[in-house]
Parts: sequence; structure tokens; C-alpha cells
Amino acid sequence: MAESSQTGSHSLATGAGEPLVVCEGVVKVFGKLRVLDGLNLTIGTGETFGLVGPNGSGKTTLMRMLAGLVRPTAGGVRVLGRCLPDPAVAASIGYMTQLSALYLDLTARENLRFFCSIYGLRGQERERRINEILERVELSANADRVVATFSGGMRQRLSLACALVHRPRLALLDEPTVGVDPELRRAFWDYFAQLNGEGTTIVVSTHHLDEAARCSRLGLLRFGKLLACGTPQELLAGAGTSDMETAFLYYAARGRQEEVTA
Amino acid sequence: MSGTRILALTTRIMRQIVRDRRTLALVFLVPLLVMSVLYVVLTGSSGAVPRLALVRPTGTGSEALNLLIDRLLPPASRLKTMTIAADEVESVLNKGEADAALIFPTDLAAQLAHGEHPRLQLVLEGSDPTVAAAMRESVTALVRQLDVALVQAQSQRGQGQQGPVPAVNVPATSVLTLATPRYLHGGPDYTFNDALAPVFIGVFSFFFVFLLTSVAFLRERSQGTIERVLASPLRRGELVMGYVCGFTLFALVQAVVVLLFVIFVLRVHYQGNLGLVFLVAILLTVSGVNLGIFLSTFAQNEFQIIQFIPLVFGLQVLLSGIFWPVAQLPAWLQPVSYLLPLTYANEALRDVMLKGSDFAQIAPQLAALLVFMLLMIGLSAVTVRRQVA
Repeated sequence: MAESSQTGSHSLATGAGEPLVVCEGVVKVFGKLRVLDGLNLTIGTGETFGLVGPNGSGKTTLMRMLAGLVRPTAGGVRVLGRCLPDPAVAASIGYMTQLSALYLDLTARENLRFFCSIYGLRGQERERRINEILERVELSANADRVVATFSGGMRQRLSLACALVHRPRLALLDEPTVGVDPELRRAFWDYFAQLNGEGTTIVVSTHHLDEAARCSRLGLLRFGKLLACGTPQELLAGAGTSDMETAFLYYAARGRQEEVTA
Repeated sequence: MSGTRILALTTRIMRQIVRDRRTLALVFLVPLLVMSVLYVVLTGSSGAVPRLALVRPTGTGSEALNLLIDRLLPPASRLKTMTIAADEVESVLNKGEADAALIFPTDLAAQLAHGEHPRLQLVLEGSDPTVAAAMRESVTALVRQLDVALVQAQSQRGQGQQGPVPAVNVPATSVLTLATPRYLHGGPDYTFNDALAPVFIGVFSFFFVFLLTSVAFLRERSQGTIERVLASPLRRGELVMGYVCGFTLFALVQAVVVLLFVIFVLRVHYQGNLGLVFLVAILLTVSGVNLGIFLSTFAQNEFQIIQFIPLVFGLQVLLSGIFWPVAQLPAWLQPVSYLLPLTYANEALRDVMLKGSDFAQIAPQLAALLVFMLLMIGLSAVTVRRQVA
């Protein structure tokens, strides 16, 4: 176990040449359902990659796969140069689930302490990081309140804090701004830009098209495939429009046609 | 108060129940199952024939006495008897081959002939107070009948008739004395509670830990925290161990509280090694935690967890020898008892607390509990691994 984590950190350090995330021909079948169907994707270090697509298009499955929670039925997923699922990569990943997965009967600080501890942080370093992240998500004043008494926005902020407190190199954020007011949403995205600046790569799924415009690159997921992938500007140009919503409808219609002809 | 709104709610709830097949099945089938077992247990206790070992008189003139004893013994359907040697009494009782031994003096015939008052000794195994009390009663009745028969024979002889029984030269209404019964374990002041108290420790450590773990693990799933935990570097084994440790510690505290309550508040008699009591509690707790993790994956909500209680708990309470010794269950049901961990825990806890058994004496029960625990760990490990599809 010790050996594998050592070789893990070694290859993680030398993975500079390769993109942070590489998906090659990824297929995932649940029963009769083909959730992912030959998906190819690369994500580079320090970018914010936006996953857009209708409900049930496979966004969460892809997120869970990148988090090592789902094994691909076929194809390969490499994160930090290692094939998933790999426990050695887990420490470098932060995962914010769609539900605000928190222990409601614990305080905010106790939640953060638990997640820090399972990522191996302890002592003063742990407390320092917890205070830092509480400051950043503006929960310092409520740190010692039980989460059950938190509002939806507060829970969402704490959930984000729990995913980032161990400073992951890859942050997987599954619809982080659901139920969050516009002001706080802006604060979230400012924070994401700041994290990119610090070298953290973010994969984020969203239904808000104004958020999609703030991503460095976007992937439109539908029928388990990437129908379109590129910077927001490239996608707009390709669809011949200046409106993100029109662009997505254009790519979705094109994808449906391909599906029919195939 | 709106009738339509109430109706809408009622319809919705009924629809939800009908859609929940497991709830339907458990709500209707488990009570039938438990009631059937209860019925069998309560009516089928005809197998509960107490067993009496006899140390018979062997001296000259004993044949006629033994014939008389055999004639007076209740039918085998009410009392099973066996004949043993005087030096076998303790081992036969300790092995559980008999519930009590009645020791006649070897020279009973000679003592009667000399007009002495022979002393009969009853030795009770004693760890089950109900059996001991019943045994004491039926042996006292047997000795009284024998006494009456001997006195009658004497008076018949006085009238010149030659009875089959040797001469008794005492003009008394009573010739036999039954000495104060000796208890191998427990004593006459042992009550049903004394036998029940040790098993409380086992029942509580198993049951509450099972219930709490399954609900806690279910919450992990429904709140989504399990996803976070599994995405972290935490290993599956560590997850299971974390649960085991957290709840074992909790269960040990619980066992201490139950033990203190039992000894100091209920003032239950006890002897034996407390370390062994805790060892049994630990084995049961670890089993309970892992069974909880395993079964929680078959439940979608807390309500469905509650439905597991009659299945996990009801059956064990009825079949593990808490209220009725396993030996008193119908023969076809006894193998089921020996598949249940509480059966072994109850035996071990009673042996330690009532009989003062040591490690070697309860080793078979401990081994069975260990096997069950490993099995449960295996099941929960598979369960946790399955979380990664």
C-alpha cells in the first residue's frame, strides 16, 4: 500500500507533459442504459472545464468516474497520468456532489475536520486550512453552528469548502450553484477563477448558460457523447450565433440528426 | 379541514405503500413468521422433559427397592431418568446430560432394616431456575410417594403379610429424609431474572449497535456523504473499521452500564470473569455493526430499517434460548437456533456469569461467535465494495 502511493506521487509529479484528465473511448453501461457512449475528452491543468447538457445526459456519471466512484465499462480514464480508479490519485481530487453531502448533525467546523482528516491532514495545518477556507466561503461566523440549522446557500458554501479544504489539484464540482442566489453565484465563480490562477483545475457542471460563458472550455454532453467541445467563443462561432442558448440548441439538433442517420 | 386535501394525502400514502414491495412483504409476512415461531415455541415445549439422574442403592436387598422406585417414577413423557454411578454426578450435570441427580444411600436396604432414617440427597444443576424449581418439586413428590410406600409396606408386614419390600423396623409415619438440595450452580434464591440478566448484555450490544449502524450507514447514502467519503483516499476497509470501532466503543460502554445496573440495581447474582463478558460483547458488537452495514443497503429509508427488526431481532429473541432453553425447542427448530449468534452469546454469558466458566469452557461458543463475526465482515466488505459500480 505504501509502495503504490509512493510510485503514485512520483508519477503525479512527472505528469506535467500530459493533460490532467484524459478520457479515451469511455463507455459506461448501467443495465440496458448506455450512459456514456464512446466519450473522448482532455482537460488541461489550470482550466475550468464546463460540462453542459440536459438532465440524464451523463454529466454526473462522468463526474463520478473522474472521482473514481464508477468504473468505465470500456475505454480508459487517466487522471494525473494514472488510470482510474486509483487510490493514489484520490488525495489530489476534491469532489462536490450534487446533494450538499454534509453531516447535518455536526457543525460546519466538525464537517471540515472530518473531511480534512480522511484526506490525511491533521494538527495545526488542518486548523489553519479550515479557518482559511471558512474565511473564503464567508462562514467563519457560523463555523460552530450545527449544519441542520444552515440555509440552502450556507450548506452549498460549506459543501464547496469541504471539497476544496485539502487543496486538490482537480476539483470536480457537480452543479455547485444549484439553489444559490445570483450574488453568491458570482462570488463562487470569482473564487473558481482565483483557484485556476493557483493551478487548480476545475471540472464543473451547470445548467446556467451565463456560467458556461465563464468557463475556459466547454463540453456539450448528450447521448453519452461530447457533441461539441471548445472555448465559449469557438462554440458560438461554430453555431454562427452570439447567443449561448441558441448555440446549444443548434448543437443538440445536429447531434440528434447524427443519431438518426446513424 | 379539507376533505379533498386529506383524501389526496391518503391516496398518495397508499400509493407509496403499494409501490414499496419490500414494505408490503415485510409488513404482512414477518408478523406471520414471528407468530408461527412463537406458537411453535409456546406449544411445542412438550420436548421440555426434565431429566433426572439416579444414583441407585446397590447394597444387598436393593433389587426390590429399585423395583419400587421404578414403579413410582412418573412416565418417561414427564420425567426422563437414567442411572449413573455416584462419582458421575458432577460430570453428568455439568455436561447438561441431566438437570438433577437424586442420590440414594448405597446401603438403603440395610439402613431401613436397621430402622435408621436414610438420607437422600438431591443435586440440582441450577443454572436455569425454572428447571431447578420444577425438578425440586417433582423429586420431593417422588420421595414422598416412596416414603408412603415404605411405611405402608412396614404396616402390611406388621399385619403378617409378606410384602415385596424388605423389613422396616421403625414404627414411624416417615422413614426417609430428603436432605436440603445441593445446587451445583446458582441456588434456591436464584430467580428467573438471574438467568435472564446475563443475556441482556448480549441482546443489547447486538441489537442497538445493529440498529444504529444501519441507520447511520443509510444516512451516509441518502445524504450523499458516502460518495465524498469513497472519493477520498479512505479505503473501504478503513470505512468498515471506522464504523466497527466507533460502535464497539459505544457498545462496550453500554455493556458496562447494563452490567452495573444488573449487579447493583437488579441485585442479580453473578460470578465469573468480567473480561470474558466483554469479549463476548465485542464479538457480538462487531457482528452487529457489519450486519447493519450489510442490511442497510437493502433499505431506502429509516422505516425500512425498522422493518428488519422483527427479522433480525424477533427471531433471535425467540430462538436463542433467552426465555426457553434451546433444548426445549422442537427438534426441527433447534438447528435454526444454532445458526443465530445470540444463541452462542447467551450460552457463553450464562456460563460465565452463573457458573463462573473460564475461557476454555466457553471456547466453543466464542469460536462460533468469531465465525459469525468474520462472515458478517465479509458480507459488509462486499457491500461497501459494491458502492463502486
